[in-house]
Formats: sequence, C-alpha cells, structure tokens
Amino acid sequence: MRENDLLVPRPLITRRRLLALGAGAGALGLGWPRSALAAVRVEITSGDVQPMPIAIPDFVGGTPGDTEAARSVTQIIAGDLKRSGLFAPIDPAAYIEKIVNTDAVPRFEDWRAINAQALLTGRLTRQPDGRLKGEFRLWDVFAGQQLTGQQYFTTPDMWRRVAHIIADGVYERLTGEKGYFDTRIVFVDETGPKERRIKRLAIMDQDGANVGYITRGDDLVLTPRFSTSDQVITYMSYGQGDPKVYLYNTKTRQRDVVGNFPGMSFSPRFSPNGDMVIMSLQQGGNSNLFAMDLRSRATTRLTDTAAIDTAPCYSPDGGRICFESDRGGRPQIYVMGRDGGPAQRVSFGEGSYSTPVWSPRGDAIAFTKQYQGQFAIGIMGIDGRNERILTSGFHNEGPTWAPNGRVLMFFRDNAGAGGPSLYTIDLTGRNEQKVPTPSFASDPAWSPLLS
Amino acid sequence: MRKSLTISAVVHAMVLLWSLIAFAPKAFEKPVDSVPVDIISASDFSRMVAGSRSAPKAPAPKPVVDKVGETKLTDNSAPKVVEKPEVIKTAEKEAPPEAKPEPKREAKPTPPKTDPIAEALKKEQAKPEPKKEEAKVPTPPHRPDPPKPQPKFDAVRIAALLDKRDAQRQTSLGEIINHTPTLGSPKGSAPTLSQNEIDALRAQIRRCWNPPAGAANAQDLRVDMNVKLRIDGSLAAAPVLLERGSSPYFQVFAESALRAVERCQPYSLPVAKYEVWKDIDLGFRLDDLYGG
Repeated sequence: MRENDLLVPRPLITRRRLLALGAGAGALGLGWPRSALAAVRVEITSGDVQPMPIAIPDFVGGTPGDTEAARSVTQIIAGDLKRSGLFAPIDPAAYIEKIVNTDAVPRFEDWRAINAQALLTGRLTRQPDGRLKGEFRLWDVFAGQQLTGQQYFTTPDMWRRVAHIIADGVYERLTGEKGYFDTRIVFVDETGPKERRIKRLAIMDQDGANVGYITRGDDLVLTPRFSTSDQVITYMSYGQGDPKVYLYNTKTRQRDVVGNFPGMSFSPRFSPNGDMVIMSLQQGGNSNLFAMDLRSRATTRLTDTAAIDTAPCYSPDGGRICFESDRGGRPQIYVMGRDGGPAQRVSFGEGSYSTPVWSPRGDAIAFTKQYQGQFAIGIMGIDGRNERILTSGFHNEGPTWAPNGRVLMFFRDNAGAGGPSLYTIDLTGRNEQKVPTPSFASDPAWSPLLS
Repeated sequence: MRKSLTISAVVHAMVLLWSLIAFAPKAFEKPVDSVPVDIISASDFSRMVAGSRSAPKAPAPKPVVDKVGETKLTDNSAPKVVEKPEVIKTAEKEAPPEAKPEPKREAKPTPPKTDPIAEALKKEQAKPEPKKEEAKVPTPPHRPDPPKPQPKFDAVRIAALLDKRDAQRQTSLGEIINHTPTLGSPKGSAPTLSQNEIDALRAQIRRCWNPPAGAANAQDLRVDMNVKLRIDGSLAAAPVLLERGSSPYFQVFAESALRAVERCQPYSLPVAKYEVWKDIDLGFRLDDLYGG
C-alpha cells in the first residue's frame, strides 16, 4: 500500500523524491531482520504437549430471552473443544472478568491471571425475522489481540449446528487444521438380547445428539459408509436372500439398490467425488473388487484373483485403491491403481491386517490388526512404514477417519460388556473418548463437514 | 638397644609434632564463593571461543567517557568552536542568491574574526616553533642567549601572554557513557551462558510451550525469533520472527511459540551476564517429539 504509493510513476524526479524512495527501500530492507546478531541462541526442540487452556465464558444473549440458549451453545462449544483433546476449557468459577459486551476488548490481564491462552467470547441474538444470529470473537490473551471473529445466521432449530460451526472456527484458527465438529456419524445401533439382536442403521451428530434411525431393524445392516463429498450413505443389508449394497440419501430419505449382481455384494465405499462405488462381489469361494459408476450403472472389474479381496478404499485423490487380500496367505493390505492392475503389498508386520481406510489427508492408512488374540487399531504410512498402534484390546474394529484426518472413530467390544460401543482416538493415541450412543453401537462412519 | 630406642623416640616425636602442625584446626575462614563448573569437551570449548568468518564486525571499543556531551562545562571552549560555523553559515546563505556581493563580504567578515589577543598569541607561538625546529637544539630553555624574548621583553606584554581562560577541568565527551573499560565482561567470565543456564532457560520455555503437535508435517516446521530482554528478565519488546512462512500451520506454530515466550516471562537468568542474554535468538522445532 505504502510501497505502491512510492512506486507510482511521477513525471518529475526531484531530489526529495529520490531520498524518499531510498528511505522506503531502506525501510523495506529493515523490515526483515535477517541476520541474527544475538550472542546466545537457544533451540527448543520439544514442548509441553498439553491441551491448550482456553476460557469460554457464557455467550451473551442479545435479548433477555436468548440467555438460556446462549449458555447451551457455550456448553456445546466447550464440550466439542474438550473432547478433541487439544483444548482444556477453564472452569468458569475461576473467571475474573465477566463479559457483558462482546464488542469491547476484554481485560487481558484478568485472563492472563488464570493462565488462559485463548479467550472465546460470543453473542447469540434472535433476529426480528425469527432467525438466530451467532457471533464470536477469539482472542489471543498473551499477545493481546483478536485472532478471528465470525457471525452466522441460521434457523432456530439448527442452533446446535451454530455451536459446532463456532467450535470448528476456533479449532481451525488455533490448530491450523480444519475442524470436524459440524459432522454426523452413521452407525449400526444394536438392541435386544445377543441371540436376537436388532440392528438398525442410525445417524447422529458427532457429539451424540440428534439420534435418528434410517432402517426399522427388519433386516440386518452392516458397514454403512458416508460419501466424502455428499450426505449420501451406502451400506449393506441382508434383505430376502443375498445381501445387497444400498444407497441412502440423508436429505431426500430415498433408498436405492446399487446394481443387481448374482451372489453377495458387500463392503461398499464411495469414491472421493461420490460418483463411483467400489465394493467386493463374491463368486464361488473368492471375492473380487468391482467399481460401479453411479450414473451409468456400468461396472468395472478391478481384480481377478483366486483369493478374497475385500474392504476396498480410495485414496483422497481417487488415484489409488487400498484393500485387504489374503492372496499372500494371510489377510494383508495392498495398494493398486484406480483401474486395477498389479497390486503392491504394504503391510508386512506380524499378524493379519484388515479394513484399511485411507486418511483424508492422504498420508496414512488406518487398519485393524489381529495379532496374538488381540485386535488393535493402528495407522501406517501409505508405503507401510511407520506403523503405529493406537489402541489394542479384546476387540477393536472398523476405524473411520474424521474429515480432517486427525481423529479416528472405531467400535470396541469389551469382554463382558455385552455389546460394542463407539470410541474416538486421536493420532497421538493419547486422547481416547467414548462416544455417547443410546444403546450398543458398531460400524461407525464419519460424514464430511456439513457446511 | 638404647640407640635404637632414642631414634625411635625422636622419630615418633617428630611425626607427632608434624601431625600437630599439619592437622591443626585452622581458624574460621570466609567461605569461598562457589564457582559453577561445567564439564565440557574440548570441542565444546573450541566452539565457544572460536571466531566466525561470517560474524558481524565488532564495533570499536568506545573511549571511556565521564559525561554525555552537551554539558555546560564545555561552554568555555565553545566560543571558538561556535564562531566558525556561524561564519560559514552566513557565507553559505549569502552565496546562493547571487555572486555580486561576494568579493566585498568575503573580504569583510574575515578580518573581524581574528581576535587581536589570539593573533598575538599565534605570532608568539609561530615564531619560536620554526626556530626550534631549524636549530634542532635538544634543550632550548637552557639556552643562554635567546634572541627574541630579551629584546621584546616588556612588562605590559606579559599580561598579553597570560592565558586569560578560566581554570577548567578536562572532561572527555562522547555519545555513550562507557562503564566497562576492558573488552571483557565486567566480571571477567566467558561471554557465553553456561550449558546449565541455557538448559534452565530451555526447560523454562519448554514448560510454557504448547506446540500444535498434530499439524501435518509438523516435523518440518521451525520458527526462529529474536527476543530482547530487560535486566529483570521480562521482554523489552515483542519477540520478532526472523522468518515467515505462508502455510496456516506455520502461522499457528509461530503463534504458539510467540505465546510461549510471552507467557514465560520473566526469565530467570544470571544478572551478571545480562550483556550476554539481553539479546537472544530462540529456535523452536519439534524434533524431539518426533524422535528425529
């Protein structure tokens, strides 16, 4: 801006102007203190990987009637951030300053005193036209400046989403990653005794609220999967006869059978852009991978082996496919091009590997590993290196990635618990959380961000 | 027998006497100040004292100075110094308008500038000097027949020869008062922080730093900043990033490091070495966290 003024061509080059240009150039040069003249240099090569203390005082109600709703929104945001494991909301009893006007600059020393590194203030207002306005400001307490501020309008029944969207905004600004709070989970809800278990397809917000059921439980359902680009689900259902792969649109509530194949079709999954479904079809004792174009309904065979190839999953760019195969004897993870062709084995550890899922970031594959009677959830690089086990136990299975690739959800059957439950774990393996579900739950799948 | 007995007695007595002296309790001594000792390897030491080709040139040591300039003590010597610039200025001011009055005015201002006394002094000084040089006599004061003072001796002129300036004190003036007469630090210790002190500082910052560990390619992220400290260990100014990155991860990473530095103050560092640590470069990265 300033520099631009200086660079505007002028007809006369006077001595003063030359001097000004020189000074400007000098200032530009000085703006980048390149050379380190300091005598002492200290390298800090590790930090305290602790959740960041953040103060989230109750949002202000724009009108007296909004105070209660504002408080609920605050609690949802605090809950989201706390469950991520990266933030530690400070107990509101410790707050010194009471935020009454969110437009004023807070007294940072009051928040420094309770060691809050970030401060979130906000306001919820019901507009004259009936809509809700949610706004927030995020402050860096120690630098004493605003990091971000946003406002959103929505219908009153979507107030929970406003809270999740604000939590996403805070998460993104403070971690550099996209958030994952404004998402939903589809899973298999399990009720009834073990012998006659009723399995229904259910959908809920990622924090366990707003549970809804997609099927009635007449048929057995398995392996629901979200499209990564749309709010469409594909799943496998045992109707009459062979199991079939279905599509279900969560907006229109419309259901479709994917193709009509002889034999079993199972473990379906969407391609990243949502216009293909890849699945395995059983033929005799073998199963092979097929991809189907959802518009033309044309099917392409991808593998042709005398082994069981299953659980296929696209890479985020759609260029490659990882899948599980026992062609080498034991189930292991293989990677091949999107159109089939030679596959490369990537898992070489002891035990057997199954349910590979490519990270939305593209840099890792999550898997279930069976070894010495234990089921573990782990991740490895896409070349099979740097394998890390995040959790291990009696029965853990079916990892699914949060849309930002930072968190995995899976289901765990604890010995003696009577049924499985959903859990999340972050990539460090340190932050494991149980996901609240109305009853037993298995086979979770994470949706992309709703907005 | 008797001889050996006496020898034994004498030797015993000597040993006893020696032990009395050697092990005698000493009077209370003032405890010696403990000296922090770091065990370092030879390579560490050579690195500590080695020069660097790329290092910036050290500024020339400033002369020791008692007072900062512009004090009233210098008034007496001022007139001479001030006069000249004034004259030059007037000449400069008048020069640009035109060249006509130049010869007149240039001729005029110069004569009044000359002070009769100073002139006399100059003449007096000018005369003996060349003669001394020409004569090259080692001891001019003891000369029996100096030709110039005697013929010109006059009681009235003695007054003219006297230095009429007031008695004055010599003060050296400069821009910066320099308290340290030597090149070394006032305490004479090596001009670096010891490894223990650096470790303590590192540990202090590490405790304050909550790095965003999960960022993609966090291994490759690094932030360098320059920090200026006050003697009480607090920040003299906001830390300055030495480099900037464009990715959102870098921004978050840098902010976390800046926050740590702000949060951690005041820093506990030895006051005696303030000159060393008043300006510190800090580098932040997560190598240890990723084991590499």
